[in-house]
Amino acid sequence: MMWSEKYRPKNLLEMVGNEEAKESFVKWLGKWIKGTKPLLLVGPPGIGKTTMAVLGTKQFGYDLISMNASDVRSKQKIQEILNPILGNSSVLGKPMIFIDEVDGIHGRSDFGGVEALVDILKEPTIPIILAANSDVSGKMKNIKKVATTVKLRPLPPRLMRLYIEEILKREGASIKIGNMIKMIIDSRGDIRSILNSAQALAGGFEPQLDKSYETHNIEESVNLFFNAKSPEEAQAILYSMRIDPREKINAFYSSIITSTLPVNILKDMLDVLSEADMLYGKIIRKQEWRLLRYLDGILSKLYHQGTTIKYSKFNLPWPTLNRIRWDGMAIKGLTRNLAKQMHVSRSTFSTFYLPYLLCCMKNKSLEMDLNETDSEIIQKEMALIK
Amino acid sequence: MTESSMWVEKYRPTKISSIINQKEIVGSLRSLLKNTSEMPHLLFSGSAGVGKTTTALCLAREILGDSWREYTLELNASDERGINMVRERVKKFARFSGLDTNIPFKLIILDEADEMTSDAQTALRRIIEDTARHCRFIMIANNISKIIEPLQSRCAVFKFTRISEEDIVSHLEEICKKEKIKYNVEGLKTLYQYSEGDMRHTINMLQATASVGIVNEDNVKSSAGLAKTSDVSSILKLALGGKISEARNKMIELIKVYGMSESDFLKYLNEECYRIKTVHLSEMLKAIAKYDYRLIIGANPEIQLSALLAELGNIEK
Repeated sequence: MMWSEKYRPKNLLEMVGNEEAKESFVKWLGKWIKGTKPLLLVGPPGIGKTTMAVLGTKQFGYDLISMNASDVRSKQKIQEILNPILGNSSVLGKPMIFIDEVDGIHGRSDFGGVEALVDILKEPTIPIILAANSDVSGKMKNIKKVATTVKLRPLPPRLMRLYIEEILKREGASIKIGNMIKMIIDSRGDIRSILNSAQALAGGFEPQLDKSYETHNIEESVNLFFNAKSPEEAQAILYSMRIDPREKINAFYSSIITSTLPVNILKDMLDVLSEADMLYGKIIRKQEWRLLRYLDGILSKLYHQGTTIKYSKFNLPWPTLNRIRWDGMAIKGLTRNLAKQMHVSRSTFSTFYLPYLLCCMKNKSLEMDLNETDSEIIQKEMALIK
Repeated sequence: MTESSMWVEKYRPTKISSIINQKEIVGSLRSLLKNTSEMPHLLFSGSAGVGKTTTALCLAREILGDSWREYTLELNASDERGINMVRERVKKFARFSGLDTNIPFKLIILDEADEMTSDAQTALRRIIEDTARHCRFIMIANNISKIIEPLQSRCAVFKFTRISEEDIVSHLEEICKKEKIKYNVEGLKTLYQYSEGDMRHTINMLQATASVGIVNEDNVKSSAGLAKTSDVSSILKLALGGKISEARNKMIELIKVYGMSESDFLKYLNEECYRIKTVHLSEMLKAIAKYDYRLIIGANPEIQLSALLAELGNIEK
């Protein structure tokens, strides 16, 4: 039997970690009355969001109606499924709704899926639990407004180790310490995945450790990639970089753009990064994560023998970074106000209005009524024009 | 003399009849105004600074009277982040009715509508229909071909033409006289040449020049370099010269410090390519087109634009 099934907790008490989240969850469900805000569980995969919802319903005597984000894509669909449940609850006993992967609701926004969901969430007649991996996107903000958010965190390595050792003891198995550490790091706090790897390792499957690059950090990996002896080696390093794709693309971008390269090579490399960025754009816009498998294939074209590229975290000199951060923010505030007064966009204002305005003010033929931050940045910018 | 406002606002026409050089448009708008309650949605197209926004504001004044500001929502698609933002703001604005007064409808002016993606424009269709009972839209675009057909068909379309040199110069003369500033006609003609018929740009340039001294050819030339489009032109020069890193730093400053939008940057870059007279024009335009498309698909505009600079740098080799 799969360990991840065998050791799935039977009740909430058996769940490992995230004690606070568990407590808020139990409180919420225990005290639930008509009108109580829905609950939004946010956290990375495999740490027990679904398990929590399933166990909670069992323990509190509800009937779980569970649906996936793909069911709730359009307004029509969501109303079709949910309205009957919300309307006459008696027929179905004591129902509770669980919607998984709400951050995956996508597609053209005019289908109104999120809006329809938010409308339902506003007036809950039965308990509703939502689960999501992340809560940062715009539509998640709308959902968060009408729900109580509970965050679940990845389990810390220490706890993972205790947990895995306990399981191994029960199974009468053992894993070499080196493999154990690697496995814990790789799992990133995902219990489901560590159970799967533990079962595989205890069953005699030995991953290659000697030539594995997986323990390298970003800096080392990027440097090793460009210093690789062969395209195959470079590719192996690339595949071993298990980091967020955006981070991966940016690490290469920063390193390449800050290295001194002949224009023709720079052009080819940026072209490759541009392709990678397009792929990533498609992935996040359409949520088509299966496309991710092609990313390393594209990035491997960055390998050129004999180029001197060194890892760099930042791709702009410090003064520029500071100017973006502070002056950029001040100018944004200034142009937002003035652009509205002049009936143009911020971009147009910056291009065709601001420089002339600064010139007039510098020559004292124009005086404007400005607040403190605005006049400060104006003074600063006036000093910059010739 | 110390002024407290920008002339471009001070001298913006407030009546349709004082709009310069768009006689046919003014004529047909007049006839529409005879029966305001039946006015359709409007779509104004034409290049920058020919009076599209001004005409829309004049209409707002004439239809809605003194309290026009209250019943007019001005949106600029280049500033709004996504169609949902537009939907929210339109919804909120349409909701408070205020229709107990004697205004025929509320007005929504959507500037730079051609900056919206076609998906967003499709969504806008619904928004327009949902609010049609209480609201009229005036959409403004530089390029009508970037507005999807279904939106065009919901509007009466007005194509604004460029303002002639004569008209601009005589308008500038009028301002000069009212402001009592020294000028010569050569200076005013130079203003026209630098702005390429963009009235608001011309007036801003005029005001800056006047703050230096007499409006003559030399002074105009020196103030013309102020506009951020000249930064775009130096970025292009740096890139073509293979100085990618410098070009990129300057471009990032323009976009991230001053807030020039990426699509405006590409627009000005494209215009600049025609201006510099080069045998590589078609290759350059091809590169811009390639990365303009990739910018829409991609996730990080900076990567796409940097890649464009490097590709431009490789052309003259």
